Amino acid sequence: MKLPKVRELTEAVKALLTGPYTSKFPKQPHVAHPNFRGQPVYDADRCVGCLACENVCPVEAIAHEDITDHENPRRVMIHYTDTCIFCGSCEAACIADNRGIKLSGEWDLAFFDRSAAMETIEKELELCEICGGPVACKDHLRWISERIGELSFSSPTLYLSRLKGLGVIDENIIEASRDYGRSDRVKILCARCRRETTLTTK
Amino acid sequence: MARSVIPIGPYHPLQEEPEFFTLTVDGETVVDIEVNLGYNHRGIEKLSERKTFDQSTFVIERICGICSTSHPFAYTRAVEDVIPVEVPERAKYIRTIIAEGERIHSHLLWLGLAGHFLGYNTVYMWVWKLREEILDVMEILSGNRNNYAMFKPGGVRRDIKEEDIPVVMRKIDSIIPTIDRLKKAILDDPVLHVRLKGIGVLTKEEAINYCAVGPTSRASGVARDVRKDAPYGAYDRVEWDMIVTEHGDVFDKAVVRILETYESIKIVKTCLQNLPGGDIDLNIKDIPPGEGIGAHEAPRGEVFHYVRSDGTNRPARHKVRAPSYMNIPTCQATVIGETISDATIILAAVDPCYCCTERMAVRDSKGARLYDTKELIRLSQQKTERIKRKMGIK
Amino acid sequence: MTREDVLKGLQERFRDDIIDLYDRSHKRVYMEIIPDALPRVAMYIFRDLGARFNIASGTDTRTHMEILYHFSLEEINLIISLRVKLDREKPAIASIAKLIIGANWIEREMYELLGIQFIGHPDLRRLLLADEWPRGVYPLRTDYEEWDKSAVRDRGV
Repeated sequence: MKLPKVRELTEAVKALLTGPYTSKFPKQPHVAHPNFRGQPVYDADRCVGCLACENVCPVEAIAHEDITDHENPRRVMIHYTDTCIFCGSCEAACIADNRGIKLSGEWDLAFFDRSAAMETIEKELELCEICGGPVACKDHLRWISERIGELSFSSPTLYLSRLKGLGVIDENIIEASRDYGRSDRVKILCARCRRETTLTTK
Repeated sequence: MARSVIPIGPYHPLQEEPEFFTLTVDGETVVDIEVNLGYNHRGIEKLSERKTFDQSTFVIERICGICSTSHPFAYTRAVEDVIPVEVPERAKYIRTIIAEGERIHSHLLWLGLAGHFLGYNTVYMWVWKLREEILDVMEILSGNRNNYAMFKPGGVRRDIKEEDIPVVMRKIDSIIPTIDRLKKAILDDPVLHVRLKGIGVLTKEEAINYCAVGPTSRASGVARDVRKDAPYGAYDRVEWDMIVTEHGDVFDKAVVRILETYESIKIVKTCLQNLPGGDIDLNIKDIPPGEGIGAHEAPRGEVFHYVRSDGTNRPARHKVRAPSYMNIPTCQATVIGETISDATIILAAVDPCYCCTERMAVRDSKGARLYDTKELIRLSQQKTERIKRKMGIK
Repeated sequence: MTREDVLKGLQERFRDDIIDLYDRSHKRVYMEIIPDALPRVAMYIFRDLGARFNIASGTDTRTHMEILYHFSLEEINLIISLRVKLDREKPAIASIAKLIIGANWIEREMYELLGIQFIGHPDLRRLLLADEWPRGVYPLRTDYEEWDKSAVRDRGV
């Protein structure tokens, strides 16, 4: 059996000369290919807080918390990094040009404390002027009104929020509360209050 | 005439589909075998009814780590059969490329494990080194070495970029000479001929009665392959051959898998060269009520999915049938009558989706433990040593 | 043997047993038969037509239990699915495990997950569920309620 022996010997010599195939991780760090799907990362400037990523996630790795404190109303987007399966559905569903949450190339994610395994960002929240509940994030309302142009004047919530953001109108100095009359309809309202003010009147 | 019972199993937390084989042994010959399953039953059929059609592809691809493309492929074909609708051309080609890339890496994995059981640890390491090139190719194409997340009902999720194709072709071309050398080294080895030929024979009639699928039945002369019988994807637009042999023993099963690797390489290269343009996704919005069946040829055989929809966005019933479900019962026909040192390689020749004969235990009739995993694999490796010595090879 | 020959042959041989033949597309045929006729029709398709038994899928619809037996006729690229509808309170049907060895495991699985009795099965016992799983609790039924109060249902942190 001489010939196969020669075959195997050349292979063995080649292997000796080129050295081992494995790398000396972790002394030699490994940079993944640019196509690699790593951990999703939020971009606080681009995210509009629309919750599309939370609805689409197959493993419920994204959650949110609305803090309706009058001084600083905000929506906290929470991404649980230990539950995430890096599928990319959130990035595909993001309405902000797929840039609000993006998959980075990070893969070296070991940690010790599971209760701290989350990444959060905060977005400013618009509150209803009658009940104080959350309407939507300010950036989301701006995203909608930018896309429908002058049609946003059909909805007081949209145009009041937009003009307030631009600094064109002042804060509502009259105490915002229900007066059961016409003036209720020209306020920033959540969906439930808007339905009630449209359907009922004194 | 003392009969002893040898359990091969049980549950190992790291395995995909652990099974528990109980062999009844008379001296050295196996006279009966019984299989116990269900150590890792995860209730995926029930879970799939709680996810939407689009979300459940991610659950489905985690049924198996090695055939991680086959299950979503069959599932998306079943959902598209409910409507029914055909995906765009480019999506078909991309699906075929991913499925064949997976077949290459799965067959190489099996080859390495078979080498390990027989005592050829160099083959094990060599083949798995080769497999790294294929895993790099899959990472470039889909973003991950396993669990590719490429399939959705209506098409694929991500596109293949033009600038990645030359790199991928170069990587695939670089492994072909090594597979050639491997094929010759394995098929010419006289020790392997003695070790594997005539062992664990599954006759053609038994293969038909047990309804075996995949390389297990193709090695017994049953010329059936879903890709040829019911063409889908790009399989009818590419020239390739179906590999069928006739003896049905372990050697033939190895030959079928090695030759199929060549065919898969041919398909991947042709598809990459002829990739058409166009959309990759149909953007399906609603699934009407109805039933659908999808089948795909996984590396181990035919995967069969049945989906019933009631008009909502979640399946009403989803039945999953992996190929090993039909192949593992054939061990009743192949192992009985063989010796115990051949039992590991015969059970592994069916390629049960991962090395399910990993944990083994041998007890005598009083229940005292005689051997454990490593010892039983060593029994198999020692037989190879004995054969080598008898043939005068060092 | 063409597709039309196969369908005509089935309709003529089992005229009294077939309730409905749904010719969905050139690759898919769904045939509903009375439960008593299952062994004869299954053996005709398996032995005389040379089809391969694929799998059987059991479903619990709210009004009845349904089993679909899928057979593949590869030469003409056709999958014939036999549908039998069973009573939901005490579902029982004749077993084909002795005739087709490949049907042994799936009948055991349907027995433990849906509670369907297979009369004449050589070895009807549990296949997948654990030994601690209580008797009479069938997971794939629509009225299944979770019985394990200590199971973790959230992220677990």
